[in-house]
Amino acid sequence: SSMSSNKLLAVFPLTIPLFLVNHLPHDDDVVSIRSQVIMIIALSTIAYFSTDWLIPKITPFLLRANLFGYDINKKGSKEGEKKIPESLGIVPAFVFIVLIILCQSFFYENNQKLVEYNAGLMSICFIVLLGFVDDVLDLPWRYKVILPLIASFPLLTVYANVQGITWIAIPKPLHWLLHESVNLWVFYYVYMSLLSVFCTNSINIFAGINGLEAGQSFLMAVSVVIHNLLQLCFGPEELRGNHLFSVLLMIPFIATTLALLNHNWYPSRVFVGDTYTMFAGMIFAVVGILGHFSKTLILFFIPQILNFLYSIPQLFSLFGYSCPRHRLPSLNVKTRNLMPTDDLNLVNLFLRVFGPTTERSLCLRLLSFQSICCIGALILRYTLAHVFYDSL
Amino acid sequence: FMQHWGTVLTQNEKWVASLSQVALSVGGGVMVYYMIKQSGTTFRNAGLSGRDLCKRDNKRLIPESMGIISGTVFLMVMFLFAGVRFGQHLLSSDKPFPHELFGQLLAALLSISCMLLLGFVDDVLNLKWRYKLFLPTLASLPLLMSHYINHGSTHMSIPMFLWPYMRHCINIGKLYYVYMSLLAVFCTNAINIYAGINGLEVGQSIVIAISIAVFNCLEIPTYLGNIHHLSLCILMPFIATSVALFCHNKYPARVFVGDTFTYFAGMTFAVVGIIGHFSKTVMMFFLPQLLNFVYSIPQLFRLLPCPRHRLPQYNPSTDSLEFSRTTIRTRSLNRHTLLAVRILSSLRLLSAVYVASDPKFDHESTVTINNLTLINLVLYWCGPLHESVLTWMLLFLQVLCTGLAFFIRYSVANYIFSDKPPN
Repeated sequence: SSMSSNKLLAVFPLTIPLFLVNHLPHDDDVVSIRSQVIMIIALSTIAYFSTDWLIPKITPFLLRANLFGYDINKKGSKEGEKKIPESLGIVPAFVFIVLIILCQSFFYENNQKLVEYNAGLMSICFIVLLGFVDDVLDLPWRYKVILPLIASFPLLTVYANVQGITWIAIPKPLHWLLHESVNLWVFYYVYMSLLSVFCTNSINIFAGINGLEAGQSFLMAVSVVIHNLLQLCFGPEELRGNHLFSVLLMIPFIATTLALLNHNWYPSRVFVGDTYTMFAGMIFAVVGILGHFSKTLILFFIPQILNFLYSIPQLFSLFGYSCPRHRLPSLNVKTRNLMPTDDLNLVNLFLRVFGPTTERSLCLRLLSFQSICCIGALILRYTLAHVFYDSL
Repeated sequence: FMQHWGTVLTQNEKWVASLSQVALSVGGGVMVYYMIKQSGTTFRNAGLSGRDLCKRDNKRLIPESMGIISGTVFLMVMFLFAGVRFGQHLLSSDKPFPHELFGQLLAALLSISCMLLLGFVDDVLNLKWRYKLFLPTLASLPLLMSHYINHGSTHMSIPMFLWPYMRHCINIGKLYYVYMSLLAVFCTNAINIYAGINGLEVGQSIVIAISIAVFNCLEIPTYLGNIHHLSLCILMPFIATSVALFCHNKYPARVFVGDTFTYFAGMTFAVVGIIGHFSKTVMMFFLPQLLNFVYSIPQLFRLLPCPRHRLPQYNPSTDSLEFSRTTIRTRSLNRHTLLAVRILSSLRLLSAVYVASDPKFDHESTVTINNLTLINLVLYWCGPLHESVLTWMLLFLQVLCTGLAFFIRYSVANYIFSDKPPN
């Protein structure tokens, strides 16, 4: 019954996008937007079941290859002795890449969009490779900063050649200071590559609790899809291509993440590894950059931004703080509650502010915070949008 | 000034791209050299290591799967190159942006990077051998999809001497896609089985890559010049990073390249052959690998017993390699196989030693043959050799076969095919 209540929690956020799908435009073009979205949902269902089936099959190979960890949040209890296979992110990433490669022919007739699709996929594939190599070899952190930068190059090249817009719109209240829009020239490209580095690493550091990494990615992906569907239903026609592109990448991602959560939710039978966190981060960066909604995307990343800002003293060893390998809470075996440590991250902050609690409810609290932030971001984006900008 | 620079770029686009690619490749090669030097311990600690069975000290752990470093740096150089080559179009807006060429480059890189990922996963997880046939097929999917979407031709040209009997070129339809993925499977596995001595895998790949690069240079002035130039620019960083890897992998090897490298190399060759429509020429450069594969067929398909390792045998007292052997009971072979063994050994293509009453096998009659690889065959013909001498001999054989391939391609081919064949 706890399994079914978990599943209900996951299904609930999905109802909103499904409701919106009904309202998608379906009168234009040969292959209408609505039928494309329904097709990708059908294909993603196959991806869900494939990932769910494949994860237990890969697990013995990972254990044999010494890719496992011990659940630190259960240290001291019986479950803390069990070997948990690591890097299971390779499975949803693999199924996602195969699905996208096979599906691109259904959705794009002209070369231009296809080139963007392939460039995004190229960046994602490179990051998955990097993430898996990192899981196996334990690369130092400088690789985790430099390599996502390089992985974003295909995106930048495609962006430069296909769209090339380096203007950003300035909010109306600031029109007197700067003009209506400002051209950032090469700094727009710097901004795009920094976005890739940020997205991949911020999910990586907002982690450590069973189901947190996959759970936050799931919620953010659902929010992105809601934003995309709202734009497809009610937004201007010329932006539809961008948002459709994003939806066609996000829905398979949601499906494979759900399958992973089946095994990763508390109590975790598998760990997702850096492979998953970097994969997730890069997908968000790809859809944000090529879909032209990176500012909205950043709004969805508010919990990760807060966590990053709060962690800065430890990450950069400032003010006398040291940065240990794991910055996780400790388990009180008698009460089965997690107790906060001195580490500077949102996980410990929540324990200090709201009191010690079990791992499962801590994760639910953090994910509720993520949901509130995502809903708040959507409200902010849509109500204040015409305060700041002219269009929706 | 910008307009003038723009027209200059349009004319000399290829030169700018080539020169920058040479610079990037050299930089990449140097980077690979130093990264491999520093990461031996990291690989060993992660469990990625193997033992050199052809040395006196065959207990020492040698870091494995170093192909991941050369592959990753290759991809990084290609990303930078894509920016340089296709970024030039921003400055000169005379010609329209070559979407199709760029799309093909992306599909090629996507296939290579998928293969690198799958190859590394295979090295780490030690998947069963049947996946070795399946993984290259998966990795070739981006190429197949790109070909399909761009309405690529599925025609193959027929040799001229068959023209009175058939059409000039036949449309093999969906079989063309099967051919493309089989090419990927073959190239990766052919390099994989023609291996086992220090430096052979990387060395043969470098020779093949240089051969294809020379072929591309000769073909740039033709009507398919753009795609040959692209293929050349893909091979340049491959050669540079592989040379850096070879410096560490040649006798005596300090690192092993792993299946990661053989997958990566095979896929690169299959990819340039497919996008450049010269896959038959690539096959001609694969002659030693083909010979090795054909010679190995009886063991690979279990017509004869196949041991786990078919490497040459190391002789510590002479510090040289001898061909390794397999002993089989004659009772377990049917008479066709026995006849074949007899014919091959009389042609000196096989070493067969018959023992009427073998004490190690319950006094039954046995035959001891050399393991069926080209390496063992060369050792049978030339007697025991030192490992580095053997490697250089096999690489020299590879170069000779390349020369033969060029000869066939440029003299005889003109009598067989009317024009440059589309495949």
